Amino acid sequence: MTTPPRWNGPFDPASSDRGLASDRGLASDRGLASDRGLASDRGPVSDRGLASDRGLASGRGPASDRGLASDRGLVSDRGPVSDRGLASDRGPASDRGLVSDRGLASDRGPVSDRGLAALSGAARVPVSRVPVSRRPDEASPRTAAGKGQGKGRRGPADPVRALMHRHHDLCARAVDPLEIAAGLEAHGVTDRTAARFRHRDVFSLAEELYARVPRAEEPAPPAAPAPGRAPVVRLTLAALWLLPGALCAATASAAFRVDAIRKDATVGLGLGAGGAALTLIALWLCLRRGPLRVRGSGRGGRLAHAFGTGWLLGYAAAGDWLLTGLLDGRRPYDAAPAAEAAVLLALAAAPAAWCARWFAVRARRRLAVSRGLEEFAAGVRPLFASVVAAFLCALAALVPTARLTVPGPPPAAAPLSTAEAAVVALCGLLFLARLLAVHGFRRAALSGLAVACAVQAAALATAAAARLPGAAPLGEPMARLTAAQGAAAVPVAACGAAALVLLIHAFGALCRASAHGDPGARTARTARDTRTTRTAPDRAP
Amino acid sequence: MRVGLLTEGGYPYATGDARVWCDRLVRGLAQHEFEVYALSRGPGQEGAGWGELPRHVGRVCTAPLWGEPEPRRGGWGGRRQRRRFAEHFGELAAGISAPYGSGAPHGSGVVQDSGAPQGSGAPQGSGAPGCSTDQADRFAYGLHGLADLAGEYGGLSAALRSEDAVRTLERACRTLGAPHGAQRARAADLLAVTEALERALRPLSLDWYGDGAGGDPGLSGVDLCHAATGGAAVLPGLLAKRRFGTPLLLTEYGVRLRECYLAGPAGAAGAAGTAGTEGGRPLSGPVRSLLTAFHGRLAAEAYARADLITPGNTHTRRWQERCGADRERLRTVYPGMDAARFAEIGEQGAAPSEGDDRTLVWVGRIEPPKDVIALLHAFAEVRRWQPDARLRIVETRRGEDPEPDGYPAHCRALADHLFPDEAADAHSAGDSPVSFERLGDPEVPTLADAYGAGGVVVLSSVVEGFPVGLVEAMFCGRATVSTDVGAVCEVIGGTGLVVPPRNPRALADACLALLSDAERCARLGAAARARALELFTVEQNVAAFRGIYLELMSHCPVPREEVGEGGGPLPFARPAEAHVPGRWTAGRDGDGFGHRPPGPAASRPAPEHTPTWAGPPPREPLGVGPRPSEEGA
Repeated sequence: MTTPPRWNGPFDPASSDRGLASDRGLASDRGLASDRGLASDRGPVSDRGLASDRGLASGRGPASDRGLASDRGLVSDRGPVSDRGLASDRGPASDRGLVSDRGLASDRGPVSDRGLAALSGAARVPVSRVPVSRRPDEASPRTAAGKGQGKGRRGPADPVRALMHRHHDLCARAVDPLEIAAGLEAHGVTDRTAARFRHRDVFSLAEELYARVPRAEEPAPPAAPAPGRAPVVRLTLAALWLLPGALCAATASAAFRVDAIRKDATVGLGLGAGGAALTLIALWLCLRRGPLRVRGSGRGGRLAHAFGTGWLLGYAAAGDWLLTGLLDGRRPYDAAPAAEAAVLLALAAAPAAWCARWFAVRARRRLAVSRGLEEFAAGVRPLFASVVAAFLCALAALVPTARLTVPGPPPAAAPLSTAEAAVVALCGLLFLARLLAVHGFRRAALSGLAVACAVQAAALATAAAARLPGAAPLGEPMARLTAAQGAAAVPVAACGAAALVLLIHAFGALCRASAHGDPGARTARTARDTRTTRTAPDRAP
Repeated sequence: MRVGLLTEGGYPYATGDARVWCDRLVRGLAQHEFEVYALSRGPGQEGAGWGELPRHVGRVCTAPLWGEPEPRRGGWGGRRQRRRFAEHFGELAAGISAPYGSGAPHGSGVVQDSGAPQGSGAPQGSGAPGCSTDQADRFAYGLHGLADLAGEYGGLSAALRSEDAVRTLERACRTLGAPHGAQRARAADLLAVTEALERALRPLSLDWYGDGAGGDPGLSGVDLCHAATGGAAVLPGLLAKRRFGTPLLLTEYGVRLRECYLAGPAGAAGAAGTAGTEGGRPLSGPVRSLLTAFHGRLAAEAYARADLITPGNTHTRRWQERCGADRERLRTVYPGMDAARFAEIGEQGAAPSEGDDRTLVWVGRIEPPKDVIALLHAFAEVRRWQPDARLRIVETRRGEDPEPDGYPAHCRALADHLFPDEAADAHSAGDSPVSFERLGDPEVPTLADAYGAGGVVVLSSVVEGFPVGLVEAMFCGRATVSTDVGAVCEVIGGTGLVVPPRNPRALADACLALLSDAERCARLGAAARARALELFTVEQNVAAFRGIYLELMSHCPVPREEVGEGGGPLPFARPAEAHVPGRWTAGRDGDGFGHRPPGPAASRPAPEHTPTWAGPPPREPLGVGPRPSEEGA
């Protein structure tokens, strides 16, 4: 309890908060009174409410002598009312304790009494002379609601209030009166019970409860969703993404070392093929689960994705050699750039997964705290930018690592070659496409891959067509480009342009709230399509 | 006649609710051809497969209401489609973000704080609670607009999950006059709501409505749609009603909206069918606010357009009336139960074997809502006056108690405390007057044996829906003492004693009155059996639906083009007199959908083209059984 306010008279400035409170009570209870249409019925209650209110205000604290005296003087004028006032003094007081326990405003308890008192002041005087015993219905709500009242004691002035306190959580949480009605019925309140609260049915009782109980503040949004696994397990799963890169790097370095020692290509070739197969299997296993898993895509989309990715990887392996061969004539295949590209691609899987996971988690966290869609978008845009930047930085760090595995110049010295730039662009393209597909934009992802494939295929096709008699001018631009920048300029242009387009698209698409839907729904497996079965031969109409 | 049975999470599957009565209905009405259109609620349900279907079920169509939506097909995303979608979904969102249920149709005077113009001319008592006709119309317009859009282009799911939908919803929530709950919706709430809406509206984009090109007729070929539950299952019925004029019958044994309210705070999966699960986390306030408003408006729309609504008991009926169902189109059809199991024991009459007439029987699951504690206290009171009385508590749940310190153990401990073992003399072993048994034990192998083991059956619940145990006791011809909860008064009529809940003394007095008067017991038992056989058998249920089917068919036939032998149209195949100008129900004038103008039927002006003598006869709300008010409780 707070410090007891003194009763200094109705117009004391010190009691202005009470005036406010009574306003509120009036507002909330006017509907009630008019609902029942029984203003005169309300009379005794409100009268008692007034009496008890004064008694309460005066009798609560130690400094109550004046108020109590005046109260007694006032009450004793009325004669029969005095015991009522005193008796009901304790009812609201106990209610009040209950209320303040639950963290409501402490002046909330007597509010309605005051409101009612102010409302039906006119009806107060005549009805107040009605003896107590003439209203037998006062006793019945006590059996249901007013537990703790002694025998022979009067129930609370307002029978609904006891119910209100009993179902406070339900009422404060309810979004509309029907929810309270459903909850009350689940607690065994029937229309007959409602009749004891002077209501026609549960629905109108629920409406009164809804109108009188202040809505609870929505609890703060839950903090970051608790990770489902232990940190050790999560770290292990994250480390698994290093497996393809490690396998690929080991294979490449081993194959080149063996080749250098034995001068015999078959062993190195076999080693390389086996390592490549292992790497692909590891990569496939990683992509099947975790942050880069694409859910619920159809068979056609999956095939198209696989074909596009396969083409791009194939071009990275042998495209430059093929293009140079078509333009300038045949030359021996050099496995070193392809191996370096493969190592870089396999190594890039780990940062891609980590970045995707980080993005998803942070975006979901932001989703939970954002008040609106604009606020969410404004928060996610820098997040996405930083994710892309982090991935590019990781790629830059991986390039020297990849160089270590193949024989060549010392890694730190050389700047980024065109071939390496092509691989980096390819990594970015694949990362963005996968990220888009994971968040549901499969069509956009497929378009990006298709654009890159088409450019590369066109380059190869023009180069091949130029070898036909009379079509040499077709290959002229390609020849000039490769002469100036090297054959790797084609994948750099193709993948880079496609990645740029995808980046711009993703910047719009992935920063929307709809891209970060409910993870609970996403874990559900895809439902089967509509199914129609005939159990009997169809009888034509 | 073809009947399209629309279910959600129920009938053809081996698990789920509303399964048993649908099965009995379909088997009982073998003269009709049934087509089952079922929405499934979860992978577990689909995995469990179907029950056995009778021969006259022509076909079964199923669609999931869970999981990821189907991938988008066809050309969606054109500017025109997107604009139309935004318009219709905006109307729908405006309908559900308006304050719902906070108003008062019964003149309670609670003022809505809505800034939207309310139907000021609408008299009290019309429409759903707090649902002005304006908002209901916007919801209906949006819903049917989306349905048309889905029919034309398909792929509504993708659009409902798009950013457009989320933005539209946000705009609707932020408008002036939206309730406080909706105003506070966060981005995550908006997303959750759109996903739940997408799942709930999936029936709109199904291929159940026929392609119109003479191929698979689907729902356009049925003569009557019977929705076995409320909620998403009525959506196909609403669409068929609007597109083909198929009459719609809605049966609700439990109000779906109420389940939605009860499931909302707990976030229980699947209880609301489509109300979102979020992995079992409780739904936040704004989400609950919007989703319950959606389900409420959907229910109101279904009640407004259904040709006939058959609630299962008065409680359901009250909820339906509260949600805007027209009283004239409500007809209570009590659920049917299998009486054959209890025929033998019921035919014997209340003549239990020697000593049993001093025995009280309680049958059910020992759970807190059943208030076995009060029963034990009441029995202690009974024992004071009738020392040779016994109480048998029969637990119907199979297997052991799930937790050792639960409510059953508590009840047993209390019984041991209150009633120590007693023996007849100093030389025999004692026994407690209260025995706890389990159904399937050698003493009580079947339910009939359990009820037959005593003279008086007691029901002491504090919460009860439709009291199945009470009906079974009535079938057995036993006198009953029950608490006044749920539909008990309605079920028992005047054929048993009813006491207030949570009142052990009153329960004891009633039990004593019956225990000391065997003749009264027998009389009440016989009356109870007669009443149950009249009202709660499977046969009456099936007969009621048979009659309703024929009535609906004859009063609102599906307008179809008559087709001749060669497939050409057949003019004058149906005589002009076939269409009687009178109206069958009062709700079918108004707009083309069967929306009636607000106001009670009596105050509405009669349709102008109908002469007064051809108007609808004054029609009493029919209940299949006698109404409880006539019987007296």
